[in-house]
Amino acid sequence: MPPILRKALIYLAIAAVAFVFVLPLWWAILSSFRPNEAIFRDLFPFTPRALWPEPFTLDAYVAIFERGFGTIIANTLLVAGLTTALGLIVNGLAGYAFALFEFPGKSAVLGIVVVSFMLPFEAIAMPLYSVVSQLGWIDHVAALVVPSVANGLAVFLFYQFFQQVPKDYYEAARLEGAGWLRILWSVYVPLSLPTCISAGLMLFIFQWEAFLWPLLAMPAQQFKVIQVGMAAFQDQYTTAWNQLFGAAVITALIPMLLLIPLQRYYVQGLAGSGIKG
Amino acid sequence: MNRSPIPLLVLTLAPALLGLAVFRAYPIGLALYESLYTTIGGERVFAGFDNYLMLLTDVGFWKSLRVTLWFNLIINPLQVALALALALVFVQKLPGMAFFRLLFLIPIGISLPVAVIIWRIVLLPEGFLNGALGIVGLGPYRFLTSPDFALYSIIAIATWKGISYWMIFLVGGLQNIPPEINEAARLEGASPWQRLWLITLPLLRPTLLFVLVADITINFLLFAPVFMLTGGGPRGSTNVLMYEAYKSGFVFGDMGRAMAIVVCLVALLLVIVAIQFRLLSSAPKEAK
Repeated sequence: MPPILRKALIYLAIAAVAFVFVLPLWWAILSSFRPNEAIFRDLFPFTPRALWPEPFTLDAYVAIFERGFGTIIANTLLVAGLTTALGLIVNGLAGYAFALFEFPGKSAVLGIVVVSFMLPFEAIAMPLYSVVSQLGWIDHVAALVVPSVANGLAVFLFYQFFQQVPKDYYEAARLEGAGWLRILWSVYVPLSLPTCISAGLMLFIFQWEAFLWPLLAMPAQQFKVIQVGMAAFQDQYTTAWNQLFGAAVITALIPMLLLIPLQRYYVQGLAGSGIKG
Repeated sequence: MNRSPIPLLVLTLAPALLGLAVFRAYPIGLALYESLYTTIGGERVFAGFDNYLMLLTDVGFWKSLRVTLWFNLIINPLQVALALALALVFVQKLPGMAFFRLLFLIPIGISLPVAVIIWRIVLLPEGFLNGALGIVGLGPYRFLTSPDFALYSIIAIATWKGISYWMIFLVGGLQNIPPEINEAARLEGASPWQRLWLITLPLLRPTLLFVLVADITINFLLFAPVFMLTGGGPRGSTNVLMYEAYKSGFVFGDMGRAMAIVVCLVALLLVIVAIQFRLLSSAPKEAK
């Protein structure tokens, strides 16, 4: 194949894929700025005007915030923020211990921790409901936060990183009489900032996207998190299309705001989990 | 490495290990245990293997199992193949690629429920896709309410949302292949197609295996799209086992049956994953 033809074909494929990825989103975004009765205008017959937000209005966004979407966002930020903060401490400490200390059975325990993240949360969500109801946490925020804090992948990311830090750092600090907590705080934590971002993003996105677990654990729906809130919204306002699109756009926008500047760290974190393959 | 005082070890390891034990390991045991009980008039009664034996003759279970297997038979090869194609494009060094790479990554930031809401409206009979198909005189189709289309619509939505995520792993794998190998093959006169089949794919095998296994795990347990779009219908055509278990336990209050289904589902998943490891990782490692 002549190189020019090959290049043209590749560009064509790229454009086609990008089109399929972007088009539904673009339609969702522009529709969220249209009045509800104009959502399906210009589609039958199809005209290019279907791809432009006209007539333009912010009614949908005003309406979803009047219906309490702001509280749902705040709830989710609280749950995801708490999980991320606690998760970094708990999993970071464990990663530090695995990397620096020797104890009998260490490799077996580490192996189990690593395997635990291959089993997705969905697989244990239903029995987890029984565990959490034994603890009396159904409909409490603790049911959403506590079970998600300990995370095998996050432990592994920290372990992997701390292991690469030269042991001399640790020894030198020991010789100067620093305790392990001081060493962790003033030597290891500053070094591990990229790992903290990777693991933190992972924990945050996990909570932001959680659906089945909050659905089961919060049956009273007094405290709604975003994915479940959106699904409930869909059941309640079946034909408020522009508001549904608005809710979807906001729900997608918040993790995007984190992912776009920090995508490098997110990708590194993911790739770290695939390394053992 | 240091020998360390026990209290220090406990302090650093206990929170994470305790969390994993209580909220990961214990639920597995509890599922096995609860699957041996049944609820009669609000009382929990030991039932032995009755829940499992009843599944054997349960038409609803078998139909749901068939739907689950068919769904996975289509979606997993489809997602891995498309993710691989996407990854091969992603690593191309062409002018303007940075912009396209960003577009490829967009679905990662979108959660499955968001994708479902957007696509539900796109796929309505009066929605965008039918409007666009109308240009070439097709449709309108009932993508979500016809038993012939609903499962495939869910496959399409989950694939749209999923492939960029799996692409990331494959891009990582592709970047680990030393460029000199491909360069040498090119100088020897190997065509791009030959280099793909004889060099790239064999060297990518471990990553492909990982992606395939992880993808199957996710798709076996897929729940949100069925819950939000079809409720298992129309006529049971999208009633995957995960949803059947949910209905059993949380709609009809039969936790024993729900747990028995979850146990069967995870057991089936483990068998399939084990077979894959057997088939794919014991194959001769060419060029290694």
